[in-house]
Amino acid sequence: MDKRYIDKILSKYNEPSGKLLGILEDIQEKEKYLSKEALKYVSEKIGVSFSQIYSIATFYSFFNLQPVGEHIISVCMGTACHVRGAVEILNNIQYLLGVGVDESTEDGKFFLTTEDKHFSVNTARCFGCCSMAPVVRIDDKIYGYVKIKDLPKILKEYGWGKK
Amino acid sequence: MSDKVNVYINSKRYQAIKGEPLLNVARRNRVDIPALCYEESLKPYGACRLCLVDVKEGAKKGLTTSCTLACSEGLSVVTDTDEIKKHRKVLFELYLSQAPSSEKIKDMAARYGVFATRFELKHQENDKLNSKCVLCGLCVRTCNEIMAAGVINFIGRGHNTKINTPYFESSDVCLGCRACLEVCPTKAITIEDRSNIRIMASWSNTEVELKKCAVCGKYYAPERLDEKVDSLFYYKDKDEKLKDMCPECRKKYAAKKHTLIVKGEAEKYAK
Ligand code: SF4
Ligand code: FES
Ligand code: FES
Repeated sequence: MDKRYIDKILSKYNEPSGKLLGILEDIQEKEKYLSKEALKYVSEKIGVSFSQIYSIATFYSFFNLQPVGEHIISVCMGTACHVRGAVEILNNIQYLLGVGVDESTEDGKFFLTTEDKHFSVNTARCFGCCSMAPVVRIDDKIYGYVKIKDLPKILKEYGWGKK
Repeated sequence: MSDKVNVYINSKRYQAIKGEPLLNVARRNRVDIPALCYEESLKPYGACRLCLVDVKEGAKKGLTTSCTLACSEGLSVVTDTDEIKKHRKVLFELYLSQAPSSEKIKDMAARYGVFATRFELKHQENDKLNSKCVLCGLCVRTCNEIMAAGVINFIGRGHNTKINTPYFESSDVCLGCRACLEVCPTKAITIEDRSNIRIMASWSNTEVELKKCAVCGKYYAPERLDEKVDSLFYYKDKDEKLKDMCPECRKKYAAKKHTLIVKGEAEKYAK
């Protein structure tokens, strides 16, 4: 954790306690995830309790609480995507990447990272483009109408199966 | 201008303070409205939805939660329409599934004629709240708003929501006050005292040290809580002797001191 960087982020917000989401977002952008140390530090600095900050960080699926792989794959589990086979898409991605099935963490967040830290997989609730269901997001790119047979091709764009 | 208003519950007139939650008025007058998440000393929260009433006369007509309904002149509600009963039944069924081990919920549901649930029972393994928590948030709000300790909070969301300490790790800010346990409507929280240690079993086994009474030797209150209370209201006459006593001993000694002073033998007190 880079305290100086967090200080810089905090100084951007003139009333930090009301801007918590923005602060967390900025930290995640820099560090890719929110470490325990970072949350504690923010809590001390802006006077919002640690438990409250942790609560907010676990509420939004957007926030990662564990170190992440180089590419983040988010599989939408919203209603529209669910009925159009999101579960199978997720299962197949897990199969292709060789990451465990039932390994969600105690905070209830589903988050898996491959051993080589190349990919992380999580789930999300509706990206707002349900007409393209099922939807998968990799880093900042949205893939719609995803079919199971397309998955290897998509993953290859991010260096899957090179080794 | 008086701040008293007249409100009507099931056509009967009651006096209320302008702006107070209607649920307050109902409770004061023993009108039965079920509720799980309301506590007078906290801001209304409107989470459990059980306290539904039907507004007949007022700013907004229709179903609403009475804990968040502010009293105004002429407000008129009914508490027992078929529609309310229907909603309540679903709610109780949901609570029966959410907190399958809670006798309190079973009893409460039964009082309103709900004996079974069509939803899957949410028995969780190793649940720190013993499958009794209905997520009303009273413990969280008490810990944060009244005690200003901020030890516990909601974690996650939706079906997976839990209440605990951050990262499910033992807390170093917990006062050990037990206010969470007192306020919990389903008695879901476990706290144990083992000689000089209070173990907040539900909150990641956080341990808090207890203070020993200087006179009788009983462990009577958490050290940290004692410090906090002391700093807030030191005894009026700053009698150091009273400081480290449990409430019973303190009572005895204060009484003794008072009698001696009255008798004009205050110097004997020191013994
Ligand atoms: S533990 Fe008790 S007070 Fe806390 S949310 Fe659950 S039911 Fe409510
Ligand atoms: S449900 Fe997946 S994008 Fe809306
Ligand atoms: S008491 Fe009104 S919603 Fe819970």
